Amino acid sequence: MWQTLHAELEPVGFTVVTVALDIDPANATPWIDAAAPTHPSLIDTGHITNDLFGFVNVPMSVWIDEDGMIVRPAELALLEPRVRRELSPGMPERIVNMMAEVNKLPDVSVSYRAMIDDWVAKGSLSEFILSPGEVIDRSRPYPMEHARAAACFELGQHLWRSVGHEAAVPWWREAHRLNPDNWTYKRQAWTLVTTPEGADAPDLLQGPNDVYEGNWLDDVLAAGGGEEYYG
Amino acid sequence: MDPLDFTARTGWTAKPQGLCQGDVCVPAPGAIKADGTLDATVISERLRMPLVHDEAHGLWALGPASGGKALTTAVAPDPVLRDRNGDSFSLSSLRGRRTIMVAWASW
Repeated sequence: MWQTLHAELEPVGFTVVTVALDIDPANATPWIDAAAPTHPSLIDTGHITNDLFGFVNVPMSVWIDEDGMIVRPAELALLEPRVRRELSPGMPERIVNMMAEVNKLPDVSVSYRAMIDDWVAKGSLSEFILSPGEVIDRSRPYPMEHARAAACFELGQHLWRSVGHEAAVPWWREAHRLNPDNWTYKRQAWTLVTTPEGADAPDLLQGPNDVYEGNWLDDVLAAGGGEEYYG
Repeated sequence: MDPLDFTARTGWTAKPQGLCQGDVCVPAPGAIKADGTLDATVISERLRMPLVHDEAHGLWALGPASGGKALTTAVAPDPVLRDRNGDSFSLSSLRGRRTIMVAWASW
């Protein structure tokens, strides 16, 4: 999908850069290999782009112009319409409830693609290109609690690598408490405990577990439902 | 703290006139130590960057600047990230092109 966009726009001066927020590169590489990207395809094992660009969930994007200026801050980025998922009868109630929230996730694919087309056609004159002041104003508020959450998450990921998951848990729990709106902190941690040993892919259901207080469904509901998933 | 690491991870740079990012500079006397390294305590206070300490493992982490917006400047940070082969890539190498940077994850 992003490779297709890059191939389409590369001749007219655009580059797509994808960044996988994955603490373990081994989880991202199969997806990258399958996409066979010709654009820069990077892995952010420390989630440092969260802090630098304001990502709080995926997929999100920032737009950067020819002069290295951000012209659209972090926002939901979709190129293809979300597929509404229907479940066969008899599925567990928790799965049914989870899919109900998934089906409420915002779909901006049409408007997002229209914005890109406008930027391609009009460059800096596009109505979707923001001034530096507007970029800063539209970025999310960043109180001390969120900065402390980022530091806690970083301590946790360092300990995850150097000591083990158990040492990371207190810091990641604190990061989740301090910044519950950052889904990358939570989903990264949850999937490490809910994915069965030896599984082919990370667990995306991220259900209740004994290690972290939250889980995907209950936290989405607490945040106001799937409609509010990207803030 | 190493000045290059500080800039790469925070987007801020320690200069004689203060701690700077884009066209914003915050005075920070004492931030640059005599040996050229940076004093994390001074920087923490001046930029409202929380210092978090793990006593059991002897670790400290300096969080991002806080108290305002997620972005304090529209100048794009220039983190150096690695690709699936371990090769490093700098975002600033794309100057002159329009860039759509997309965050995704396997989880």
